Amino acid sequence: MSVRVLNPNAEVLNKSAALHMNINAAKGLQDVLKSNLGPKGTIKMLVGGAGDIKLTKDGNTLLKEMQIQNPTAIMIARTAVAQDDTSGDGTTSTVIFIGELMKQAERCIDEGMHPRVVVDGFEIAKRATLEFLEKFKTPVVMGDGPDKEMLKMVARTTLRTKLYEALADQLTDIVVNSVLCIRKPEEPIDLFMVEIMHMRHKFDVDTRLVEGLVLDHGSRHPDMKRRAENCHILTCNVSLEYEKSEINAGFFYSNAEQREAMVAAERRSVDERVRKIIALKNKVCNGTEDNFVVINQKGIDPPSLDLLAKAGIVALRRAKRRNMERLVLACGGEAVNSVDDLTADCLGWAGLVYEHVLGEEKYTFVENVKHPNSCTILIKGPNDHTIAQIKDAVRDGLRAVKNTIEDEAVVRGAGAFEVAARQHLVNVVKKTVKGRAQLGVQAFADALLIVPKTLAENSGLDTQDVIISLTGEHDNGNVVGLNQHTGDPIDPEMEGIFDNYAVKRQLINSGPVIASQLLLVDEVIRAGRNMRKPT
Amino acid sequence: MGLQTQSYGIQGMLKEGHKHLSGLDEAVIKNIDACKQLSTITRTSLGPNGMNKMVINHLDKLFVTSDTATIVNELEVQHPAAKLLVLAGKAQQEEIGDGANLVVSFAGELLQSAEELIRMGLHPSDIIIGYTKAINKLVEILEGLVEEGSNIMDVRNKDEVILRMRAPVASKQYGQEDILCPLIADACIQVCPKNPTNFNVDNVRVAKLLGGGLHNCTTVRGMVLKGDTVGSVKRIEKAKVVVIAGGVDTTATETKGTVLIHSAEQLENYAKTEEAKVEELIKAVADSGAKVIVSGAAVGEMALHFCERYKLMVLKIGSKFELRRFCRTTGAVALLKLGSVVNPDDLGYVDSISVEEIGGSRVTVVRNEQGGNSVTTVLLRASTDSILDDLERAVDDGVNTYKALCRDSRIVPGAAATEIELARKLKEFSFTETGLDQYAIAKFAESFEMIPKTLAENAGLNAMEIISSLYAEHSAGNIKVGIDLEGGACKDVSTLKIWDLFVTKFHALKYAADAVCTVLRVDQIIMSKPAGGPGRRDQPAGMDNED
Repeated sequence: MSVRVLNPNAEVLNKSAALHMNINAAKGLQDVLKSNLGPKGTIKMLVGGAGDIKLTKDGNTLLKEMQIQNPTAIMIARTAVAQDDTSGDGTTSTVIFIGELMKQAERCIDEGMHPRVVVDGFEIAKRATLEFLEKFKTPVVMGDGPDKEMLKMVARTTLRTKLYEALADQLTDIVVNSVLCIRKPEEPIDLFMVEIMHMRHKFDVDTRLVEGLVLDHGSRHPDMKRRAENCHILTCNVSLEYEKSEINAGFFYSNAEQREAMVAAERRSVDERVRKIIALKNKVCNGTEDNFVVINQKGIDPPSLDLLAKAGIVALRRAKRRNMERLVLACGGEAVNSVDDLTADCLGWAGLVYEHVLGEEKYTFVENVKHPNSCTILIKGPNDHTIAQIKDAVRDGLRAVKNTIEDEAVVRGAGAFEVAARQHLVNVVKKTVKGRAQLGVQAFADALLIVPKTLAENSGLDTQDVIISLTGEHDNGNVVGLNQHTGDPIDPEMEGIFDNYAVKRQLINSGPVIASQLLLVDEVIRAGRNMRKPT
Repeated sequence: MGLQTQSYGIQGMLKEGHKHLSGLDEAVIKNIDACKQLSTITRTSLGPNGMNKMVINHLDKLFVTSDTATIVNELEVQHPAAKLLVLAGKAQQEEIGDGANLVVSFAGELLQSAEELIRMGLHPSDIIIGYTKAINKLVEILEGLVEEGSNIMDVRNKDEVILRMRAPVASKQYGQEDILCPLIADACIQVCPKNPTNFNVDNVRVAKLLGGGLHNCTTVRGMVLKGDTVGSVKRIEKAKVVVIAGGVDTTATETKGTVLIHSAEQLENYAKTEEAKVEELIKAVADSGAKVIVSGAAVGEMALHFCERYKLMVLKIGSKFELRRFCRTTGAVALLKLGSVVNPDDLGYVDSISVEEIGGSRVTVVRNEQGGNSVTTVLLRASTDSILDDLERAVDDGVNTYKALCRDSRIVPGAAATEIELARKLKEFSFTETGLDQYAIAKFAESFEMIPKTLAENAGLNAMEIISSLYAEHSAGNIKVGIDLEGGACKDVSTLKIWDLFVTKFHALKYAADAVCTVLRVDQIIMSKPAGGPGRRDQPAGMDNED
């Protein structure tokens, strides 16, 4: 073979061998992720190199943590990751959809069809499905007051596929409220403004939404207040510690008094800054019971802390940069970079600031703010893997809500869309296509059914029964989804099962693309330095 | 590995060294098995007659204890499913500080029941549904079992505190609870702040001193610091204290300083000005009325000299946290460094500081009888280090119980009375259910029998007899009947005075059920190759972790 002539060490797979390798890899990956789909999917336990445990149902997390090495599987995994990046959900569906496309294609190819023809069919079917999706989606009006119920339904649908029901329902409210909290009219939603904080404490159902901020550190001075009400908050990025000069400087003195003077001089500039803050505190809190809280991004050294503590100021040092932004949004005021012209306008306000100590860890809560434009989801759980699981789910839930607001549309879920699209393809589109590409369209249509099929399989129902009853209902013109408990058709609208429009769009878009690419591979060559040791 | 040989399925896709377990037999049953192994280790330690375990950890440190939290922590469990149980136990330990054994043993028992159900043909998801229903029902039942009137209590009433503390302490140090409980109760009540919910466990310290015996244990209102004072003043009474967080020495600049000297005369003068400066500082302290200087860092030779001259006691406390506690004990405000003026408000007060020699080691005892949110130390004496460690764990459990009862003082009958009652009520509940989950609920109920059974077994009693008579008593309406381990019979716990805290039971059952459901939900395990790094040393032969 030509490559062998050029490089005797190269490994080559050609024609059908290459194709089958790709198909097998896709099917293999599908097999792994299949059992995760839907609310009745099972959990996978991942054990890392250091023995750390991760429990997950989320396709994206799983693909990331599994350390896949097969080149085809990596390609599919990347598509899934892209799916996660754009829509935040539907990774598992993507993988099993691609797997199923490959499986259906394999059948056609085995019957003697050229992959190119199948791919052409896929392309036609894809475009038709996307058009169908536009018609099928349920528009949601997102004016100034979004339909909270609708958002909740979307969030619930996403969360229930990641966590068990009771917890998912609780998180639904949290997620929806937090997105609505940070939402500003006429501006894209920035999910970074929702801080996700975790504490290893109590139970997973104690997770809550804090309208304000939670910082994962406390004040560093024993005499500062642990709990302060009616607080003015100064958000600043000013160094309150002595910094050594960059150049190599030294002091020269000839007696102890001079040295004392030097010590005082060293501190003067820092003390000056601290004094300015204290002056502001005295000005705004004069004669009232109000408290003053300084949250500094830079450091505050012990002498400065001491001065601030004596003045009755609670000071937090080394706050995270992202929290500085959130603080301003949550409490109002502005972040200052210099203490030279401090005015009362720079200050934010919070009704309650308190410290919570958990073992060695300290947390500072900034709560009861006036107009929260940033909030914190405080995740609690008895152990790390529970927290990680909730964290992933919350992330997806937030994205789902955001997508809904931005898409201004949702898609009826529980497999309803897939079955409807399949019927549309088979009954309408296929008849308009000429030639062998019809088979490609048919394959694509059948591949779509994998989603309801897998849902049924994971619930322990009979796959064929379910598909037949679903397609039957659709032929009668009813849009129905699958009831996971009984296996009967249900109306997703009545049950409040809605998927994101963006998720479905991305799924239909990216799945066939990667499947086509893989099908059109006719040679796999591994040359160059072999990274793996020969076995 | 060539491309051709790539196998079908997941195994071919993962990095080498990965393990992949899936399916009911391979994953679920094996997981259950591992958890059962773990719980067989811990269950023999359950209850007052529980056996001790000897655990040698990777640092060759020896532990002799029946405290499950310590055992499972030092066992370094590797199996991922068993680790879930360990984590649940740890969560209980962190949240309540007691009842870790109940979590691990009970979770093991629940999993064993689950295995039987799986073998019967039930799907794990049915079992999970059943168990979840059961735990929700249990919470209701448990609330109903709370002893009436126990929700209000005076946390400063020693008798009531001891009543609630007895069971947890007795389960660690059986036979010695009558000595330990009053000590712990005393210590806790002394430091209990005005608002009991703010009780800080950190304020009850434990000082372990080798030698003597349990009867020499005392509580000291104040602190016991290991080590001697720095200077020659060893005893002082009714004195004011100044606390310096930094060192007691000449001040230094942050930037490197150099002394500039032109002539021999200047050299002489320089030393003199240094001395004058230090003397000025120390004199300021002496003038303020303080008799004791406590330093957080090194004490300079020259400063020490002047301290001696002004008859000041000098104490060095290296740990920042210890220094903070000292401030709390004495009511002093820690100064950053010595200044020329010492504010009288910043001074603290002690009744006495004295260096005492206890059992061959010198300790500094700081006493402060005045109340307030100060610090109390429980002084433990015992003959060996491991006994001391075990006593300390018992004290920790006691203190944690106090903290828990400050927040929620409700109690439920102990000595397995609650468990039997829960089992009975839950069984009744299972009959009202119609689905497949009723089997799971019934099994959940049966699992409770493990506790009286183990208690009886550990005490060398006939378990079956005890359980049947317990059931008989409970169906007769005597719901407070538990096991009297000494008499070997069933008795009303109100005469035995064995009560458990409601919160401990509540959290333990919940954590156990949570962990069990998590283990059952997993159907696939993907393990990556264990990371490199220094290999763990082989344990010496014959030193098995299971006794």
